[in-house]
Amino acid sequence: MAKGGGESVRRYFRELSVAAVLGLVLLLLAVVAPAFFSPQPLLSLAAREAPTLVVIGGMALVILSRQIDISVGSQFAVCGVAFGLLAAEGMAFPLAAIVAVLLGGILGAVNGWLIAGLRLPSIVVTLATMVAWREGLRWWRQGQFVDLPDGVQWLGLSQGGGQVLLIAVAAALFVALAIGLRHLAVGRVVYAVGSDEEAARLAGLKPRAVTFGVFVAMGVLAAAAAVMNAVQSPQVDPKAGTGLELRAIAAVVVGGVSISGGRGTLWGVLAGALLLACVSPGLTHLHIEAYWSRAIEGAIILLAVVAEGLRSRKEGRS
Amino acid sequence: MSAPVKTPQKARGWLRHETVLLVLVAAEWMYFNSVGARFGTLDNTFDILRHSVEIGLLAVAMTPIILTGGIDLSVGSLLGLCAVCFGKLWRDAGVPLPVAVAGTLALGALTGGVNATLITRLKLPPLIVTLGTFSLFRGVAEAITRGVDTFTGFPANFLFWGQERWLGMPAQAPVFIVVVVAMWLLVHRMTFGRTVRAIGFSAEGARYAGVPVERRVAMAYVLAGVIAALAAIIYTARLGQAKADAGTGYELFAITAVVLGGTSIFGGRGSVHGTLIGVAAIAVLNNGLVHARLPREAAGVLTGGLLVLALASGVLPKLWSDWRARRAVVAAAEKTVS
Repeated sequence: MAKGGGESVRRYFRELSVAAVLGLVLLLLAVVAPAFFSPQPLLSLAAREAPTLVVIGGMALVILSRQIDISVGSQFAVCGVAFGLLAAEGMAFPLAAIVAVLLGGILGAVNGWLIAGLRLPSIVVTLATMVAWREGLRWWRQGQFVDLPDGVQWLGLSQGGGQVLLIAVAAALFVALAIGLRHLAVGRVVYAVGSDEEAARLAGLKPRAVTFGVFVAMGVLAAAAAVMNAVQSPQVDPKAGTGLELRAIAAVVVGGVSISGGRGTLWGVLAGALLLACVSPGLTHLHIEAYWSRAIEGAIILLAVVAEGLRSRKEGRS
Repeated sequence: MSAPVKTPQKARGWLRHETVLLVLVAAEWMYFNSVGARFGTLDNTFDILRHSVEIGLLAVAMTPIILTGGIDLSVGSLLGLCAVCFGKLWRDAGVPLPVAVAGTLALGALTGGVNATLITRLKLPPLIVTLGTFSLFRGVAEAITRGVDTFTGFPANFLFWGQERWLGMPAQAPVFIVVVVAMWLLVHRMTFGRTVRAIGFSAEGARYAGVPVERRVAMAYVLAGVIAALAAIIYTARLGQAKADAGTGYELFAITAVVLGGTSIFGGRGSVHGTLIGVAAIAVLNNGLVHARLPREAAGVLTGGLLVLALASGVLPKLWSDWRARRAVVAAAEKTVS
């Protein structure tokens, strides 16, 4: 970092360009639709997106280690419902949250065992667990909502207080992940395994243990996100988290993490996540019909990968 | 991802993946036939066929793509987009039906071409490109219909292709059979299939062997686009309506069927008939559970389990022999020490 401006601009070009686009979008909104920045709706938006950000952090970890996890949406639903049921049974809120998070860790460990232990391809394993958990949940609960007892919504705080707390928790988790990945040995190991598993093994690391750990961490984070999502409404929706996996992957890719692992930073991912989170509410404020939001999200993803492709081509040639 | 095992070893006779899966489907069939009263009737068999044509088409189209080592997450969204555009062409543009069908197929080729261009020209990973077009195509479909518009009121001679019978079988079955046979010939009897597998094993090696890698890969994606458009038309004819959410989640069913059918997700190995049996396994399970008065959700859980089992069955013997080999080495070392 201390190597002078030009160097770090080149090194973090991708992160900076995503941040620049995000800045432009926010500027546009500030000029055309300043109502976007009125505190109350913005706080609600941020609180709604806070759980997604936690899942995105976990997904970044998974993709950096050169794997993929498409079962996070189902893990999210299962852990949310489990948390709701435990709370409804009268278990104290923190205890219910801890049990839900442990359950997430176990679901993640199943993925991790199949992928790291049996060396099965992660995309197919998590496709299987995604369908299995989702349908298993529907089998068990028949699509019933879970009513949360009083005092659990917003953690017993006022709505505003709860929202601020949730945003703070999500931010803290994400920053901890970012710093851990950047500066701790545990984090660097993820990059090493994602760049070249064989080289990592020869360097004395244990790639399979790392992969297993990454999937457990993903499960834990998905569960934490599910709890953060559940406490925002009086009921737990058993269909929550549908399509979450693809949204999370999209944010990670837009943020500049290479799908072939080992490259990218969580700061870029943060910018990508915020950019995608702004699309839908931003459109409403710009008086563009909301039906366009998915098309625009898709276009942003494609633009990001095309930019990445053109850049790596140029680098390859020079 | 862990290093793919790419040894083109061919299991023989009864141990071949497709054979085992076929036995499994037969077992499924016999079980449901003994439990469900109406399950084994011809009517129900045709019902299963009618309901699995769209997923079957997508899965068959996905097979050569996965053989190249690629993947296409956008086929479900493409189905939705084509269904909506088909409805738009027919109802709002007033185009006669055959022309609307041709236009939709052309649109399928065009959108498949978008995937193909991004993947082959810009050398982008298929997973990410089709994740982007997954959102883009569905988003455009939602934008066209503003999320609510539904196209209905198709004439009876069009609905015939989705709801009526022709020579005793569901009218869409002949279309499906033609596509399957054509794809089987393409993959198993023509150079296309061989080159696609070669690319799946090693794109670089295929290039040095003189295979036009980009052109072949592009062809697989364009073909998938056309077949997805065909699936969209049949879907519309079967339900009598076209909406923006048509085919949501179908891409995952199709991939599941392909992988269950024994095609390696890393490419190079697999077959169209395997995919077909994979589709049958899932379709029979879904239908049979209803007839056996068992919870339908069990189908998803069982399919997930089957998928893992199908994968593990390919890996476990190798893990076992690795472990045996390691044991032998250790034993030999102990012997020399003592």
